[in-house]
Amino acid sequence: MFAFDGGYDPGQASHTVLLELRRTIERHPAVQHASGEPPGQFIRVVATLDPAILGSEADEGTLTLRWYAGEAADADPEFVFHYSENSGFDCGWHHEPNPHVDGWAHYQERLSADDEYEYEAVSFDSLQPVPLLWGILDRLEIRLTDR
Amino acid sequence: MTDESGAELWKEHQSAFDRVRAVAVTVSEPKPADWIAEQAHVAGNTARDHLQRLVEMNVLRTATGGTATRYEPDPLYTRMQALRNLLDDRTRDDLLKLRGDLQEQVEEWQTEYDADSPSELRERAAHADTAEATREMRQTANDWDIIAYRLQLVGDAIEHYADYAGSTPAPA
Repeated sequence: MFAFDGGYDPGQASHTVLLELRRTIERHPAVQHASGEPPGQFIRVVATLDPAILGSEADEGTLTLRWYAGEAADADPEFVFHYSENSGFDCGWHHEPNPHVDGWAHYQERLSADDEYEYEAVSFDSLQPVPLLWGILDRLEIRLTDR
Repeated sequence: MTDESGAELWKEHQSAFDRVRAVAVTVSEPKPADWIAEQAHVAGNTARDHLQRLVEMNVLRTATGGTATRYEPDPLYTRMQALRNLLDDRTRDDLLKLRGDLQEQVEEWQTEYDADSPSELRERAAHADTAEATREMRQTANDWDIIAYRLQLVGDAIEHYADYAGSTPAPA
């Protein structure tokens, strides 16, 4: 992503992706509403979901998306797609430096807020934001249906 | 695990044109049509047609150099989209308040971490006492980069409010 003056701006690149992720996620049938949060700052996207469509019995669920495009144009992005519901269950697919698994890509979940997270190394077919989003929405549905 | 069924879900809910656009406007570096086609799950010729149309619409521009034509977001379009999003439902007073809030947030980080910029904070993060502190500081540096861009946008929106908002319907 090129800034207005032709240089790379990580803030601009990340912001552009967040805008596009918000636009895209609203196309998913489980998503009722998605907005940039905190209001006015737009450092993450929060989507309100209907968990029933994803196979969960919870009443409410949210998916929080963070995206940082990297300090340089050719750097790998850091991102988080994290789901939580009012049953206390939460889980997410993350790509960031962490002490839990080798490499950046991992899945983490806990059954309630009192539990410790369990971590598992995963891989992603694509690190492009929009294809990745659809892949993760699919993985989320599989996880919630199998639970 | 593969994401093939995620691709099916995507194809079901967004057209080929939308998929090409969504991939092409979020690339960090110029990419050739075949690469975009693969990411967007469309045929190469379909991608080329849609990319050409997006160039005509000034959503994308082509990059010079190299053998194959490569595509990247048009920076003017990217900025216009972000400004339009920022201006929606906001008065000039809202924007002035938002600028104050964003500046306050940056000043809080500057004081808390004794750093003047996100890159300085990342340097401090590398020498933090615990892994958790490193992680938190890196996260803040990432947010800070986004807030810094937001501040530029808000400044632009305030300065040119009369011109930009002229095309926005008046509040009811």
